[in-house]
Amino acid sequence: MKRRWIAGAIGALMLALAACAPGGGASGRQEETAGKVTLSLWSWRVEDVKAYEKILAKFEDSHPNINVEFKPFQATEYNNILATGLSGTAGPDVAQLRAYGGLQPLVEAGQLLPLDDKVEALSGFDAKLLEGAKGHTDGKVYGVPFAYQTLQVLYNKKLFADNGIQPPATWDDMIAAARKLKAAGITPFAVAAGPDATWTLPIVHEIFGNARYGSTAFRDAVVGGKKKFTDPDFTASVKLIKDLEPYFPEDVVAVKIPDVQALFATGKAAMYPTGAFDLAPVLKANPSLEVGQFPVPPPPGSPVTTPVTPGWADGSFGVNAKSTHQAEALELVKWMATPEFGQLYATELKQLSAVPGVTPSDPLLAEMAKNYAGNGAPYTLLVDFRYGQPNGDAVFRDEVQKMLAGQADPESVSESVQKGVEQWFKPGN
Amino acid sequence: MPRWRVLAVFLLPAFLLYSVFIVYPLVSALDYSFFEWRGIRQAGFAGLDNYRDLLSVYPYDQQLWRAFAHNALFFAGTMLIQNTVGLLFAVLLFRYGRGKRFLQASFTTPYLVDPLVVGYLWSLLLNPTFGPVNALLKAAGLDSWALPWLGDTNTALPIVILVNAWQWVGFPMLMFSAALAGIPAEYHEAARVDGASAWQAFRRVTLPLLTPAIGVVSVLTFIGNFNAFGLVYAMAGSTGSPAGSTDVLGLLFYRVAFVEGGVEAIGRSSALAVLMFVFIFGVSLLATSYFRRRERRLV
Repeated sequence: MKRRWIAGAIGALMLALAACAPGGGASGRQEETAGKVTLSLWSWRVEDVKAYEKILAKFEDSHPNINVEFKPFQATEYNNILATGLSGTAGPDVAQLRAYGGLQPLVEAGQLLPLDDKVEALSGFDAKLLEGAKGHTDGKVYGVPFAYQTLQVLYNKKLFADNGIQPPATWDDMIAAARKLKAAGITPFAVAAGPDATWTLPIVHEIFGNARYGSTAFRDAVVGGKKKFTDPDFTASVKLIKDLEPYFPEDVVAVKIPDVQALFATGKAAMYPTGAFDLAPVLKANPSLEVGQFPVPPPPGSPVTTPVTPGWADGSFGVNAKSTHQAEALELVKWMATPEFGQLYATELKQLSAVPGVTPSDPLLAEMAKNYAGNGAPYTLLVDFRYGQPNGDAVFRDEVQKMLAGQADPESVSESVQKGVEQWFKPGN
Repeated sequence: MPRWRVLAVFLLPAFLLYSVFIVYPLVSALDYSFFEWRGIRQAGFAGLDNYRDLLSVYPYDQQLWRAFAHNALFFAGTMLIQNTVGLLFAVLLFRYGRGKRFLQASFTTPYLVDPLVVGYLWSLLLNPTFGPVNALLKAAGLDSWALPWLGDTNTALPIVILVNAWQWVGFPMLMFSAALAGIPAEYHEAARVDGASAWQAFRRVTLPLLTPAIGVVSVLTFIGNFNAFGLVYAMAGSTGSPAGSTDVLGLLFYRVAFVEGGVEAIGRSSALAVLMFVFIFGVSLLATSYFRRRERRLV
């Protein structure tokens, strides 16, 4: 009796263990039917499943032997899931890749296929955007860029009209407008510096300060080791944020992103310095909002005298070096470099496609794309200084928040950033 | 069948789960911390380099000690507020039994809610733009009290400590209630007969007899506070806003491991995890043996 009991317990335990074991028959790649290959495509865009299915259906129409399975993961977990997936055998064939420093760990681990001589269309891509898909040390391209972001000020057209304000042509016009709005009880700039918003502070700095620190020329000088972040021009660009603080919401250090989105969407704030990515959420919160955009006119003393639109590549699609269907995977990423994909992507997802020659259907996005094409510049702390720890962007956002909390001044912000990146950054590579 | 085999069968499931989910991650973190990492590829043995980097590379050299100090303050504040108030509630409920069940249940309800949820809830309540706390204060004419609670470097950490205490005050209360119920009433009565005041009887008789409960509560509070993450993350984000004034070791680990990226992330974050484990484990052992000795003296 006792013996049978024990046998039962062991049996139950075995069952439990079998249930825990990974990779049962059902998961993993689907069985190929009649020579048809199924590619798995991994992404961090859980919210875009429908759009991707629509886009990929077009690809499947023109490539009847290939089936693409779109598999999105939680964005915050994606990096770890992808790194693990690529190192095993159950990984994706094609994967959405982070840009710049976010791509580097995968490149260094040798998990991706270089695409330089495999996807010819890459040579036609914007060189600034292509950098986001390159290995930092080997300079090879590991992905086909899919989107980019631009930074500018969104504004509420009705509030501007009601207060007799035009999109500013000079920095002084902008300050005068802000003063007028504040006097009318409207928050001039919807800026958040609260717990969830520190990452937006370098973006705010780029929007107002890119021209002031010298834009691309300064970036090249810093990357080449000819200048440092302690440069007076960079410090002056940091000081702009402090100078603009009176026009931000009160107690800005406690204000969160949803707060400023609500302020702007409900017409309590007139201007929203942010990326193209915020256009959709703002319009979702208030579809009747009339939104315009302008690149910030250069402040007095700027080395650059035309308004700059900073931007960066959002990410790319690359091929798993271990994929068993490399030929088909390459077909897919090649297609992702065509205007057909670019146009579908831009229309379905309301984003700026990185494929050359694609114009967004949304007029506002089209303006942003035009500004970037005309006078775009890299958001250097993201583009160049996220390859080591501490990343320049992370040090900068903490220090700017300190400055807004009254615990640092522009000089110490610049010094901290320089000190942070010096821990790993060697000029010239 | 010999007795040990029966025992083994019963111990096996727990032992397997414990090994797979506790021992294995701990040992692998230790292992990872001794290697140089390039992404998820190991690039050779690094000895103590990751530990040295953590203590010497800017800004970790500063953030590590700052976070440690905040954990220490968090612990001190929690002992002072949460555990003292918990003891007070326990004594009051013990003395005046009316509504005991109901009050005990109400004080312990917040623990049914995840710290992340509690954190988000309170950060909504304390929101300076839309939150009801400041709206109430203003409505009551206390405009000068309507501070940006979580946005001021002086108030943020104390607020986090208070919210944490609000959530967990039921725990010391239950522990102390159980311990109080276990103290024979004669001791207290004898002291009062001998002329001790209520305070003296509490201070000289009840409190020493609570040593075992105080020990358990202190050690568990210490472990909980030095591992704090969810609540602080929800209220102050991954950077310990504002200006790092609420940064704790848990957040620092999270940033180094997952937020900031960089090819060195795995090695350095594992080193930090090992340091935290060694410190928390070591202090807990010392504290436990200290309280054991105190207990033995009671007998």
